[in-house]
Amino acid sequence: MSQPMIRARKLTKSYLRGGETLTVLDGLDLDMDEGRFYALMGPSGSGKTTLLNLIGGLDQADEGDLVVAGADLAALDSSALARWRAANVGFVFQGFNLIPVLTAQENVELPLSLSPLSRKERREHARYALKLVGLDGREDHRPGQLSGGQEQRVAIARAIASDPKVLLADEPTGDLDRKSADQVLELLLRLNVEFKKTILMVTHDPHAAAYAGFTVHLDKGQLGCIETNPPRAVAARV
Amino acid sequence: MFNFKLVRRYLGKHLVRSLLTVASLMVALFLLCLLQAIVVSLDAGVRGAKRDRLIVQSAVSLFVDLPLNYQQKIGAVDGVESICKWQYFGGHFQDDEKGYFAQFATDFDTLFACYPEIEVVEGSKEALLADRTACIVGKSLADRLGWKLGDSIPLEATFFAKPDGSAWDFKLAATYRPTSTAMDGGMMFFRWDYLEETVKATRGETPGTGTYVFRTRAGADQAPIAATVEALFENGPQRVSCSTEAAFQAQFVSMYGNLPFFVSAIGGGVLVAIVLACINTMLMAFREQLHDAGILKAVGFTDGSVATLMLAQSLVLCGIGGFAGIGLAKLTEPVMQLMLTRFGVPYEVPAETVALASALTISIGLVAGVVPAWRARQLRVVEALRSVE
Repeated sequence: MSQPMIRARKLTKSYLRGGETLTVLDGLDLDMDEGRFYALMGPSGSGKTTLLNLIGGLDQADEGDLVVAGADLAALDSSALARWRAANVGFVFQGFNLIPVLTAQENVELPLSLSPLSRKERREHARYALKLVGLDGREDHRPGQLSGGQEQRVAIARAIASDPKVLLADEPTGDLDRKSADQVLELLLRLNVEFKKTILMVTHDPHAAAYAGFTVHLDKGQLGCIETNPPRAVAARV
Repeated sequence: MFNFKLVRRYLGKHLVRSLLTVASLMVALFLLCLLQAIVVSLDAGVRGAKRDRLIVQSAVSLFVDLPLNYQQKIGAVDGVESICKWQYFGGHFQDDEKGYFAQFATDFDTLFACYPEIEVVEGSKEALLADRTACIVGKSLADRLGWKLGDSIPLEATFFAKPDGSAWDFKLAATYRPTSTAMDGGMMFFRWDYLEETVKATRGETPGTGTYVFRTRAGADQAPIAATVEALFENGPQRVSCSTEAAFQAQFVSMYGNLPFFVSAIGGGVLVAIVLACINTMLMAFREQLHDAGILKAVGFTDGSVATLMLAQSLVLCGIGGFAGIGLAKLTEPVMQLMLTRFGVPYEVPAETVALASALTISIGLVAGVVPAWRARQLRVVEALRSVE
């Protein structure tokens, strides 16, 4: 049995709010296998985004062990964590989070500038990623010149440009209309099925969660259950 | 990983603000160079003074003339190599609006021996000796007043006014350019015998001289020579004071009082104001880029590279403005020279001023950028991503 792509043990994270300690993750144990698509659901305040941030190395746990893509995140300092993020994780945020002063092409090239690729190779990789998300011809558009759905697809292209092992999506369809949301979800599904990316997607939307192979339920900072979505639904979409 | 494209794009995002900051820095550094150059120029004579030249003047005042026979006695002192006399003429050119310049009566052969830094650029020393009314003027002065060799220069005298009130006529026989800051490049020298004979003929008296300048032999000790010269005339008819050229020049600088300090204080004030303005600009930029800094960190940029991005924006912004100001100061040097030469100030933006202004430009960039850079470095990704521009 191979190591899971994401392995959390007794993961705890608390915040100070108004002088009180608020425990968001409370000794969470979780395993996620490589090449699978997980939807992370739960009520507001259940710790979904916090868990996503910890797995992505954007924040650090107070206690517990977290191993992602073979790296013990608690053992990495700030610089090492940044380098690890650049190589192993792609983020897709609800608010797209593109750099407004850069074009679509330049936004996608941004994480590639941290790699040893030449300028020409970076350009080619970024073009390919934009083509993959159906945005060839929009390379020179700034985020302000794109629709919400297109912006999110640029964000997905940026997330996959450096070929990371894990894709983390925080409510990626939250700001989109249904049609754009479906396009984005189908794109994520395709990345999972065709490119074997491990995807963890936070969502409130059961329709979005149905695209994933598994739905992880969180409740009050602890793992509720992991549901396996009907394979027919997944297969039909692919 | 440093991304210069991002630096350019962020500075271009608020183009008007960036241009205004650049313009204010340009004006500030231009003013700083200008004021510093004036301070340095006021002191140029002292700094450029030759160590082997001593000046003899009346112990009473510079305005009291010395007898002509002193020249031979001073010249006979052991260690004195060559000696010349300077008599201030105090004439006015026909159009004072174009600017005042100083004129001195002297003997050319001894003047050139005492001042090897006078480089004749037009005409010749022979031409100066051939005509009694011949004069030599600084090239910059000739250019400013549009004089050419052979031109007649009429001067209205003050101390040596003719009884009939007519002007003194001089003929431009040569121009010079000083090779050292010890010599003002905007003066006029004419022959002593022309002054002496004309004054004798029109006023029936023999003029004295304001100062004697002499060079000492190479390696000679200045102090005992100066003491010997002063002792020579201890019992009159006119007691003298013998000082180094630097000390002589310093008495003119002291006439400006606290002007150098005042000018420096203005420059310092301008500098402080511009530093505060730049800090404000960069803090505004930091607040606007807070969210983007979070994005950059999320995709893998290190704390250091995000901090460098902020610092680079500050350095580029301040660098463009500052170096443009320094360039402007150098570009306007000829114009400023023309404007200030009439006041007897040999304006020049020296290399040390350019170096000081360059160092200040970089320092302003660092000071303005260091706080936003530090804050960008300390920024937690999740908090930055939550922020809204």
